[in-house]
Parts: sequence; C-alpha cells; structure tokens
Amino acid sequence: MSDFLRSYLTVGIFALLAVIMVALMLTLASVLRPERPQKQKYISYESGVDPVGEGWSQSRLRYYLFGLLFVMFDVEAVFIFPWATRLETYGVFGLVEMAIFIFILALGLFYAWRKRVLQWV
Amino acid sequence: MALDVLGVVGFIRPHIDWHALAPELTLLGVGALLTTLDVLLAERGRNITPVLAGLGMLGVLVPIFTLLAAGVVGEPRVLFGGAYVVDGFALLLKGLFVAAGYVVILMSTHYVAEGDYWGNEYYGLMLSSLLGMVVMSSARDLISIFVALELLSIPAYLLATWRKRDLRSNEAGVKYYLMGVFASAIMLYGMSLLFGVSGSTILSEISASPGLSSGSASSAVVILGVVFVIVGFAFKVSAFPFHTWAPDVYEGSPTPITAFLSVASKTAGFVALMALVYVGFWERSNVYGPLLWFLAAASMTAGNLMALRQKNIVRLMAYSGVAQAGFMIAPLAIAGSSTLAADDATSAVLTYLVIYAAMNLGTFAVIMSVARRTRTGDVASYNGLFRTFPAMAVVMTIFLASLAGIPPAGGWFAKFVVFKALVSADNASGYVLAAVAAVNAVIAVGYYGKIAARMWFEKPWAASAEAVPEVASVGVSEEGASPDPAAAAPLSDSTQPIPAMVRTPLNLLPFSLRAALTITSLATLVFGILPFTVSTLTDVSLLSPFPG
Repeated sequence: MSDFLRSYLTVGIFALLAVIMVALMLTLASVLRPERPQKQKYISYESGVDPVGEGWSQSRLRYYLFGLLFVMFDVEAVFIFPWATRLETYGVFGLVEMAIFIFILALGLFYAWRKRVLQWV
Repeated sequence: MALDVLGVVGFIRPHIDWHALAPELTLLGVGALLTTLDVLLAERGRNITPVLAGLGMLGVLVPIFTLLAAGVVGEPRVLFGGAYVVDGFALLLKGLFVAAGYVVILMSTHYVAEGDYWGNEYYGLMLSSLLGMVVMSSARDLISIFVALELLSIPAYLLATWRKRDLRSNEAGVKYYLMGVFASAIMLYGMSLLFGVSGSTILSEISASPGLSSGSASSAVVILGVVFVIVGFAFKVSAFPFHTWAPDVYEGSPTPITAFLSVASKTAGFVALMALVYVGFWERSNVYGPLLWFLAAASMTAGNLMALRQKNIVRLMAYSGVAQAGFMIAPLAIAGSSTLAADDATSAVLTYLVIYAAMNLGTFAVIMSVARRTRTGDVASYNGLFRTFPAMAVVMTIFLASLAGIPPAGGWFAKFVVFKALVSADNASGYVLAAVAAVNAVIAVGYYGKIAARMWFEKPWAASAEAVPEVASVGVSEEGASPDPAAAAPLSDSTQPIPAMVRTPLNLLPFSLRAALTITSLATLVFGILPFTVSTLTDVSLLSPFPG
C-alpha cells in the first residue's frame, strides 16, 4: 500500500470509529434497557402535561431579541472586568481602546433602541 | 511590587502599524457610519445609503494604493507577532475584494429599491462581510482566519434571506447557515488538532513545528487536522463532494447576493486555502496534495456534467461555479512539488480569481438585466435575446466566451495559466490533472455555447404568453429565482406599493446596472486582449518571507 493511501486510511478509520461508536451505544442501550411500550409514551413530552393543540404554534420573537441584547452586554462585561483590574497599567492607550470597543457595542444598542426592540408590547 | 513577585510583566503598549491597517479601519468606519445613518434617518436614508456605500468602497482603495506606493510588496509589514501580514498577495486580494464589492453594490442599488426590501441594513451587512474578506487576505494565523471567516459568513447568511417574502429565499438562508456552521465545526476540530500538535496558532510556526515538518514520521493527528481544515474550506469554495448547498442557495438568494457569494465569498475561501497550503501545511504536501487533487478533478467533472442538465440559469451558474472552483484548486494540488511550481501555482490561482471575478459578476449582471424584463430565470427565456435585447446578447456572449475560455475574452488566459502551472510541475499527477482539465474545458463549452446559440439563433421567447403588466410589476422583483414564469406572476399585483425610488421603466436599464455591466465587460476584454495587465498584478509569491 502506498504511503499516501496509508495516510488517508487514518481519516477512514476515524470516520469508521465515529460510526461504530454511535452504533455501539445505540445497540448497547437497546439491549440493556427494559422495553414496555405504552401508548402514552409516544406523546410528545411537555413537562408531564398532555400536549394541547397542534405542533405548530406561534411564540413571541421578543424573548429572542432580548436574549441577543443580553449577549451584547455579556460580551461587554467579559472584556471590561479584566481590563478594569489593570486599568492603571494600560493608561490612556487602554482607555481609548476600551472607549472604541464600547462605542461599537453601544452602536448595537442604539440600533436596537431606534428599531423599537426595547419596547415590550 | 506584588506584581513582580507574581511574575506579571508590566504592560508594554503594542506597536500598531496604523497605515497597514488603514483599509480595514476605513471599511469599519464606513460600516459604522451607515449603521448610524440607518438608525437616525430610517426610511429617509434609502436614497443615500447605496451611494455612500459605493463611495466608501472607492475610499478603501486609497489606503490600498498608498500601501502599494509605500513598497509593501518588497518588504511586507508583519503585525501582531506574525498573525497579520500585509504583503503583495494580501494587497492584491484586498483590491480584488473591494472592486468586487463595489460592482455588487452597483448591482444591488436598483434591485433592493425595486424589490422594496430593507435597504440600509443591506449595505451595512455587505460592508461587514467585505471587512471579513479584507481581514482574511492578511490573516496568517488560525484564529484570525477563523474570525475572518465568521465575520464574512454571518452577514452572508442574513443577506441570503433578504427576499423575505419568498419562501425560497428563507430556505436558502437557513440551508446556507446550517451547512456553513457544519463546515465551521469540522474546520475548528481540525484547527484544534493542529494546535495540539504544534502548540501555536501562527501558520509559520505551525509549519516549523516538529510535528508538521516532513522529517517526522506521519502522525495520524496531523493528517486528521490537515484534512479537516481543508474540508472546511472546501465547503466555502463549493468543491465537489461539499457543493450541495450551492445551487439551492444561489437560486433562492437575491441575485446580487448570489453574485457576491459566488465571487467574493468563494475567493475568500481560496485565500484561506492558499495561506494554509503555502504557509501552514507547506511541509505536508504529501497530505494535502492528493486531497486537493481529488477535489479539483471531482469538482471539474461533476460540476460540468451537472451543469449540462440545468434548466434554470442561476442553477446552471452554480454548477458552473463548482467546475470553475475545480480549475482554481488544480494548481494548488501540485504546488508542493517544487518551489518554482509553487510560485507558478500562486500566480495561476490569483490570475484565475481576478478574471473569474470580472466574468462571473458580469454574467450575473446580465442575468439580472434580462430577468428584470422577463421575470423568470428559465434558460429558455434567453431564446432570441439578440432580437429582443441585442445589447444584452452581445455582452452575455462576451462573458460566456470568457467562462468557456475562448479568446479574446479574459477566460482563456485564466485557463492558460492553470495549464501552464500544472505542466510546469513536470510530474505524473500534474499531467493527468491537466488532461482532466482539458476534457472538462471541452464539456463546459457545451452548456455555455448552448446559451449563446439560444440567444443568436432561436426564435424569441414567447414573452407575450405571460404578458408583464407594465408598471405594476416593477414593485416586485422575483427574478432569477423562479424557474416557472407563472410562479412569479401572482405576486405582481397592484396592491404592492411601488417604491418612490423606481424611476427607470422596465425597458430601460438602470444607470447603476449599466455601470456594473460596463466595468465587468471592459475588464473581461482587457484581461483577455492584454493579459500582461493581470499577470503583472498577480506575480506575487507567498513563499518569500517563509523560505520552504
């Protein structure tokens, strides 16, 4: 077998291992677990309550938008805390740098505000 | 003093070469300005955003030229400890990205206004995607490459869904997003393996690390890392086994975005591939060589064969793009055989990228212009175009000839340099790949030529059957995407308000679209008739700062 085929064999073995791993785990689970099928078990799970209505339902997009805004402040905090502990050593350079960073993030908040995302209707 | 005990070194202000970063900073500034204007002016800003975005793109060219004048080609500027390099290669690609971005903005101006799509964010997102590409051309570090890739991809996922009233566009965006994330995951896995072996993210250090140097025994981890990273970028450039997203995404996206994805985004994928092959994996040509060889041969063959059967012009261009990607990967496959071959391959890929940008953007500009009248993307709508729309037929013929590689249009030179690079490797794999490429060049003439024949020889397409309501339909442009003319018709009712900006009647071409067509067709012809214009530009080497 040539050298280059052998080197790609590694990739093949790796892919095969991935498949075997999944197959093995699923088979093992099906062998070990007790199997007592009941009709109720096939209902989709909704915190123990019987599901109401159809699978398609509308949900509020606002939670998602607030989640996104939260990420923005989160990122800000992640960078500001370590920066603040050593603020004196960074001096004016650090101050300007952080001001630019906050400006760009604030632009996002400004955008959200002007697009009326912050109003909870 | 406590700091000294802990061994914490005092902060040293990093030296930042502002001049070298000027193109990126300008682009960032223009993007921030557009966003601010958007939120301040809202709908009133619609008329000025495209103009500002276009001017901003031209403004980015200024620092690129001053960097060129400052002699960056001779002595590259290395920033951030080798993670960011501004050299001739990077500068050429930055110029290419900015020029392509400008043409796409020209193409978008009317499309966005006539379709009554959100206008301001569109340009803001496009600029941030371009910023990612401009960063990518300088990135020589796994982390900067990944950040650049995400910066260019995430706005592109959003832009693909821009025709949000059309389900196909939503599908395109979701599909592109899922495949893109999948590719990123594979790539990150590969990157983590490479970092584990070499202990560095800087490409030149990875290349020099004992794990990757050719002397060491072949280690399974290195092979997995290299293969996974290359596969990740193969998704981005839509090479054969990883191309499945391309036709659906291209068909569903707004046509200017299709052009943007097929040119700028694909070029960015190639930039990263070249940086990886030449700098990062240089010592491991025995691993990446055969993989790229296979990708090149398979993409050319499969792309061309599938393009033969397409009925929709945008899908046809998608498969044609797969085949063209194969041509561009081909020189990289033999790059490892010698230093001379490597430099030949760099120039060949860059030449192909520059010419491909001109001819492919041009083709999509023609597709937009034709679909603006016919309201369909059916290949049959090109029948007898010479009689109904003679100027478009002539321009389209230039682009088709270029794509097929027929002189005097530019494409012949791109194909020529690829063959030259393949043959200059002077080994069996180079010759065989050249033969595969030659067969494919002939197959490609089949489907490009068929469109040309339709335009010049067939009877005009029966547009009267689905008569276009003259003014009312201007409000909705569902062009390029709909394979069935009837599907687009119900949308064009008079309930749709006509945006105030639509002033050009359907039988005339908007000025911006005309400008895009002129720029691309002139570039295609100049590159074909005077090939030295492009070959002097692309005569750069990635190897010089890092002797193999």
